[in-house]
Amino acid sequence: MVQFAFLDWFWVVTFIVLMTVCGVLFYKLGKRSMADFFLAGRGLPWWLPATSVYATHTATDTPIWVSGVVYQHGLRGLWYTFFSAWCAISAFASTRIFRRSLAYTQAEWQTLRFSGLGAELLRGWIAGWQVFMNMFVLGWVGMAMGKLCSYLFGWPQWLGLVLFSTICAIYVLAAGYWGVVMSDFQQGVIAFLVILIVSFWGIGVAGGPQGIVSKLSEMSQSWRLNPFAFSGLTGGDFPLAWFLTMLIIAVIGGFGMGTAIDWYPEAQRIQSAKTVRDASYSIWSGTALIVVRNSIWAVAILGFFVLYPNIKETALYEMAWYRIGFEYLPVGMVGLFFAAIVAIHLSTISAHLNLGASYATRDLYHHYFKPKATERELVWVGRVSTLILLIGSFIYGSMMKEITQWLIFALWIMAAGIWLPSILQVVWWRFNSWGYLSSWIANLGLSWLVVWVLPEFRILPALPDYLQFWMMMVLGALIYLPITFLTKPEDMDRLVKYYVMSRPLGWWKPVRVEAERRGLLALEVRSRKGGS
Amino acid sequence: MAWIRRRWTAEEADRWTREDYVTFIISPLVYMLLMVGTALSLLLRWPGFLLLGIGIVCLLLMIWVIDPKLKAISEDYEIKQRHYLEDLEKIVRWEK
Repeated sequence: MVQFAFLDWFWVVTFIVLMTVCGVLFYKLGKRSMADFFLAGRGLPWWLPATSVYATHTATDTPIWVSGVVYQHGLRGLWYTFFSAWCAISAFASTRIFRRSLAYTQAEWQTLRFSGLGAELLRGWIAGWQVFMNMFVLGWVGMAMGKLCSYLFGWPQWLGLVLFSTICAIYVLAAGYWGVVMSDFQQGVIAFLVILIVSFWGIGVAGGPQGIVSKLSEMSQSWRLNPFAFSGLTGGDFPLAWFLTMLIIAVIGGFGMGTAIDWYPEAQRIQSAKTVRDASYSIWSGTALIVVRNSIWAVAILGFFVLYPNIKETALYEMAWYRIGFEYLPVGMVGLFFAAIVAIHLSTISAHLNLGASYATRDLYHHYFKPKATERELVWVGRVSTLILLIGSFIYGSMMKEITQWLIFALWIMAAGIWLPSILQVVWWRFNSWGYLSSWIANLGLSWLVVWVLPEFRILPALPDYLQFWMMMVLGALIYLPITFLTKPEDMDRLVKYYVMSRPLGWWKPVRVEAERRGLLALEVRSRKGGS
Repeated sequence: MAWIRRRWTAEEADRWTREDYVTFIISPLVYMLLMVGTALSLLLRWPGFLLLGIGIVCLLLMIWVIDPKLKAISEDYEIKQRHYLEDLEKIVRWEK
């Protein structure tokens, strides 16, 4: 348990009031229309969604995860966090395409890119799955806060979960995405400053940069300073093959939409940006901050390793960064640290409350149940959906232990098997809704087979995760590619409309030629300068 | 003719060109350099400062390459956006 002085409580209460009031202040803007409630009227300058990207992806459990991989692997553990680099290419490829489509959500984009029954099935599936996923993330992150409060104050775990999520819901219900993004800005700045303060404090406690380096050397642990300390080509705990697979997944994934689970919250930030340029810079710079933040954390955690080198239990060394803050900061600063943790927490909770509600409102209620609904009604449906997500997250949070293993598996499915189809739907005109839909279904079966069933019956050896990825990609392609070719291409009218609107990259020649024939695009000028 | 083009009309900027592909290569490199460079610099290792410096130069180069194109796309698109949004609402409301 940590003892808080008056000054500590002062920081906590002041920050919570400030964050909540900041969100509620935008009530009038949020209620104007559905576009305001979920996208802040598509008028934000790049730096606002950028801080939102950063704040949303700095959750209560993020320092726990980063502490775990860096304590275990040293600086090479940073590559486990490098999956966020899908934004490197996405910012200038799929972000540009998605922003031009003007879809509210990824589910809606499916009905702009594809047509007919297949498109509607995809939209319904992705919308339902996203409502569920956001509820799960809310429960997961909320429970992390519950555990932290239990560790700090001895509260029952449910109290931390319910208390902070409810405070957050006040401004999300009132102002929607306006409240989310404005609070995210404030929370992002607070969180980044406190991450700097706590990490530098930890580095100082461990003897400063040179102290950490010399102590690691004395302990014969200097390899921890090498981000490229591979354990071999395919063997050991950090093989080169894993590293290269990770780079491909992360970097090439940026050409697609939905190749990473983080695409979905990012898609909302992309559409809330004022222009294509603002959208690109917001995604790029928000992720750059995340990448730099991870490095700052990593050095502080190396400092923690120097202080406590023999912790074997994962649950204990995963608390490395939190322990630096709570055990070494002076009285008065601990409250500031906790206030920053609350900021980190609220930014993630608010983003997922509003995002889940956007799928429920735009893709389920508005599209399927009441297409003629007024803007006022849709804003209210958005609020009711937010409330349902909040209550659902409490239920998920309370049963998290039982479902965590299953859901981590579900996330793995998401990353592995539909990675390539999620790229193909963006870059290849002939890839159709039935191909994409079948890749989701096939992947569900294949991942059970490859990860659990076949190894259990010794038909397949238990493969390392990078080999599972490649195997599922090949097996999946053997199903969805024939289905794509055996079914008709998408309706040319829809493809032309989508092409003219979004100007996708890749293999779109037949559609471009048709659009030019219809006079919707200027004919390709072969002699143009600088183009390829 | 310059290898990297910095003046664009909206129609030309809509196409995927060499400038985009150059950005696709530089951008992930910048992330890598910033990540490794920051960590090693905080440990006062000289390769860290070198990598961080290269990362910042690459970042500026990337903006120099892609920004004129993004500006051209955005300016033109602002005008079209209103019509697209009207169209989109009709699709969602099953009117089209």
